[in-house]
Amino acid sequence: MMPPLGILFPKDLNEALNALALNQENVHIIAGGTDVIPGLNQESNRFKNTRLLIDINKMPEVKGINVGTEKISIGAAETFSDILQNEVVQKKLPLLWKSAGTIGSVQIRNRATLAGNFVNNAPCADSVPVLLVYNATVEIESLSSKREIFLNDFLSAPYKTKLNKDEIVTRINIPIPSKKFTGDFYKLGRRRAVAISRITLAMLISLNDNMIDEIRIASGAVTPIGTRFFDLEKFAKGKKIEDQFLKELSKMLGEQIIQVTGLRWSSEYKLPVVQQMFYQLLKGIERGSL
Amino acid sequence: MEVRFKLNGKEEEVTTEPYLRLIDLLRDYFNLTGTKEGCGVGECGACTVLMNGRAVNSCLVLAAQANDSEIVTIEGIAEGEVLSSLQKNFLTYGAVQCGFCTPGMVLSASALLDQNPNPTEEEIKDAIAGNLCRCTGYKQIIEAVKETAKETIE
Repeated sequence: MMPPLGILFPKDLNEALNALALNQENVHIIAGGTDVIPGLNQESNRFKNTRLLIDINKMPEVKGINVGTEKISIGAAETFSDILQNEVVQKKLPLLWKSAGTIGSVQIRNRATLAGNFVNNAPCADSVPVLLVYNATVEIESLSSKREIFLNDFLSAPYKTKLNKDEIVTRINIPIPSKKFTGDFYKLGRRRAVAISRITLAMLISLNDNMIDEIRIASGAVTPIGTRFFDLEKFAKGKKIEDQFLKELSKMLGEQIIQVTGLRWSSEYKLPVVQQMFYQLLKGIERGSL
Repeated sequence: MEVRFKLNGKEEEVTTEPYLRLIDLLRDYFNLTGTKEGCGVGECGACTVLMNGRAVNSCLVLAAQANDSEIVTIEGIAEGEVLSSLQKNFLTYGAVQCGFCTPGMVLSASALLDQNPNPTEEEIKDAIAGNLCRCTGYKQIIEAVKETAKETIE
């Protein structure tokens, strides 16, 4: 049963921030609501103090996919279907486009938003590893401040972020990688559709004459939160793309994930799978990847 | 609160609690019981309706969020007593057994055909991936959608 609560539909950001300033303790911001509404209906502990919802769909500040020369800016109320229908995103941010297509079902993608996917920092958010390798930043506003921080810094601990109670995420800004980058995204779930991820990996790489000029690696679901592997990235820089090295790098990634996560009942399965998945992503570079 | 929307082609205005889900408004207030509640968490698709032409789970939408929108339920797919060609093909191809998933299946498939009149089998599977059917094994449903696309194109 849905608990009794109120809902506001602010017409702009200022109205929403004012409402938020008055009701910080028991308010929840929604766009699609695909997480919050069933959570409320199931009387989940996560929402037991929620008395008011603020629906941001009518606010122009959080709408639109704006394409610039250096970045693409996605409003916090843009859905995964909006992203999938955008040809520029498909071309310039192919990993994001690919991960958007793996989320939920058509019905979920028609309501769920990119911002909603990471704003509660669940470990299994499919778009997070991809946004991390793209060095995405999050635009955040309150009545008194406006700031932009890397998603990597925004995500602090499982189900915790750096968002203050008087703030709203308004946009996600994603730098368009230069043309020398190629990459891929892989999601392992128990079935292909409507599946909660068990393992997600994203990788972007630029080569210079068979040498790794830059590589960015991120995981989701298999680590407590979406995680970049900066040490590994540094280690791989300047190395030759040879089968032996790719195997070594994949092995190291698995070991680092175990270090972050600790040994679990599922490690025996997940460790070799993660290593093989990553190796396959790296091997994909030779086939051209995305 | 006041909610105004177009429901199956007709302008409607209702006063409702702000926390009521769209599925509850459709079933309990409008008596449109073709929309089914299965899981209540967006996994099964039995509650699928069209919102501004897009398939959505009505258990994941609040009635208040449907304000100013256009909603089509399974009751809005047939023209009175005359079934749509998609519905006819569901019958012809044996795509209906217990029938619980059928309204959602028909709406997901019709949203697909509206946007993409000539879908591939993969595109059909993707469009109904959020609709669970425990009877048919899906094959008959996919055949019915394919046949409808074929008829429309001819």
